Amino acid sequence: MNRLHPRSAVLSVARAALQGGFFGFFGGSVGTGMLGLPAFAVPLLGLLGALTFGGYALARYFRFRYELDGDTLTVESGVFARQSRQIPLGRVQNLDVEQNILNRLLGLAIVRFETAGGSATEATLDAVDEAEVKRLRNYVRTHDRDEAAESAAETAGAVSGTATSGRSAHADLPGVTGPTPAHTGDAQTANDFEDSASASDTEPRDQPDGSLLFAFDQRELLTYALVSVRPAAPVLTLASLPLGMDVVWAVLRFNATLVGASLNGPVIRWLASSPESTRLAVFAAISLVQFLLLALVVSVALTVIEYYGFRLTQADGDLRYERGLLRRYSGNIPLEKVQTVTIRENVLMRRFGYATLAVETAGYSGGNQQSTQGVAVPLAPREEVYELARDIEPFGDLDFDRPPKRARRRYLARFSLAAAGLTAVAYAVDSLVLETGYWWLAALLFLPVVPAAHFRWRHRGFDLDDSVLATRSGFWRRTTRIVPYYRLQTVFVTRSPFQRRRDLATVGADTASSSSLLGGVARVYDIDEDTAKELRDTLRDRLTAHVAGLRTGDRGDADA
Amino acid sequence: MESLHPRVRLLWVLSTVIQASVLGVIAYLVDRFAVSLPQTVVVGGWVVLVLLGVAHAIAAHRIWRFDLQDDALFLLRGVVTRTDTSVPYVRVQHVDTTRGPVERAIGLASVVVYTAGTRGADITIPGLRPERATELREQLRDLANESEATDAV
Repeated sequence: MNRLHPRSAVLSVARAALQGGFFGFFGGSVGTGMLGLPAFAVPLLGLLGALTFGGYALARYFRFRYELDGDTLTVESGVFARQSRQIPLGRVQNLDVEQNILNRLLGLAIVRFETAGGSATEATLDAVDEAEVKRLRNYVRTHDRDEAAESAAETAGAVSGTATSGRSAHADLPGVTGPTPAHTGDAQTANDFEDSASASDTEPRDQPDGSLLFAFDQRELLTYALVSVRPAAPVLTLASLPLGMDVVWAVLRFNATLVGASLNGPVIRWLASSPESTRLAVFAAISLVQFLLLALVVSVALTVIEYYGFRLTQADGDLRYERGLLRRYSGNIPLEKVQTVTIRENVLMRRFGYATLAVETAGYSGGNQQSTQGVAVPLAPREEVYELARDIEPFGDLDFDRPPKRARRRYLARFSLAAAGLTAVAYAVDSLVLETGYWWLAALLFLPVVPAAHFRWRHRGFDLDDSVLATRSGFWRRTTRIVPYYRLQTVFVTRSPFQRRRDLATVGADTASSSSLLGGVARVYDIDEDTAKELRDTLRDRLTAHVAGLRTGDRGDADA
Repeated sequence: MESLHPRVRLLWVLSTVIQASVLGVIAYLVDRFAVSLPQTVVVGGWVVLVLLGVAHAIAAHRIWRFDLQDDALFLLRGVVTRTDTSVPYVRVQHVDTTRGPVERAIGLASVVVYTAGTRGADITIPGLRPERATELREQLRDLANESEATDAV
């Protein structure tokens, strides 16, 4: 059984002691204030807190052991309630590595093993050193390949000893540490295969870095940061404005002088003194533009921090990514575990012919903190993105069927209703509170109704390819989802009362991917009721056919 | 196509009554300790909720259907938004029968089918006689076993 790296013990004990110290200190301060404890209780409680928390962290470190042996990862943990967990390596969906700044200084990394199902990461090793990361990664990867090689060997009718000899050579691995011995172990396994099963075509074994699929240079990174506007950025900016209130006031005052008014004293007084409305409008417009610029800067900064040094490589069956400026993330995505492939293009990207590629596995559970998980290629020319998508999941040229024209009338009606509702609200607010008489300005909202309905309709559609279902939706951020038939889970058809009126239905194809962002469901919106039923039946048939095909392809031969 | 046991309407109405009563108790507490609420509003709200519940239960029972088809479990449900769901047997992870306290009181049971998907990862068929629920669970288990895939994910 291995322990985590000793330096990580120092780190977590220090962290816990600090927390406990603060906690005790705070408790002590409250105690002296309210309960009338003597003053020396404050440092005493602080010390006590630090010792208790630190001691617990130390105990936790000593109780935490893990081991890779054969097909399983075993993790034992817990101080009071003890837990022993075994994870079959074949079930590991992703292996993710995270390094924050402190970890990087100490040469440590946090490793997470994700499997399908469950509500949290299945095993977190916090933290191990970089050589160990490499060993774990190689072990999991070669394990996967051995599995594949095994079944291939069995198919070829080789002696059944192959599997066991491959395994046993492998089982020696966990004892050794560091990249070099692991390397020899690898070579040995490879030799075993060549000796006993010449039929199995063993791929080149050591490709630590694999072939580079995609990397950002500085200019591309900046382009990406500019075009991939984060909807959350304005909110974040607004929320953090109070932190720099002085600067905000200074800027607002400057804006006021620009329009020839002075902003001394509270803004409210200035607004209440009812200056000419044009001045107010100009002032508001300037401030808004400044705010949006700031939000853009925030958005760009966040994206750059997240994607700095992005590299995507492919090493035998795995995609491997690395990214991050302050926190470095890296991870392995086994291609055979990919559930769906998603191509996203926002308006700007479409204009310049770029696209984003994301892959999803069943690994992550809801509420994962990595908001952009699964993004395989943040930004590349559309052709390249499609090429890579086809590498991951082969499909032909996509030719999307649009929803029937009456769906467009539905959008028109819906948007008109929304505009009418907003106008009514504007009228109510204006006549009851503001009394400017300009409520009819809200009626301008009717102007974009027609193009909005048209564009929504135009960008929706689906295509039944030979091996995948492709769905597409969204104008501002067009999302194209590629779902292989053999990955389908449930198929459902829904019709809201409004859809029933126009004989329309939405078909949803669920997969096991668990991205909270994308929801895992590929939806075909607003197609004809009969088409929807037909699509549902086709999907079911193809799922059955493709799963059966898989079985006769892999298992069937192996069993024979 | 099989429909649910008629008594399921009673089950649904009872759950609505319980929920409405919980709201009523909350309203009572609010009235007692915070803002005073007119009694007619509280009682009227309770009656309206229960009536809605009765109407919904009748409609839902009329619409609910399920069927064990060749390759998938097929369900049809939904009063407002009508949904049909196909759960291929290959994708069934495990099957439960459950009986909540209200269900036990009126002698019904439910079957829950789990898949690895994200939406509708657990699909419930309510309103079954206990024998039928057990039978259905076993049927589903057998069907899932027959069509076992390499990996249900």
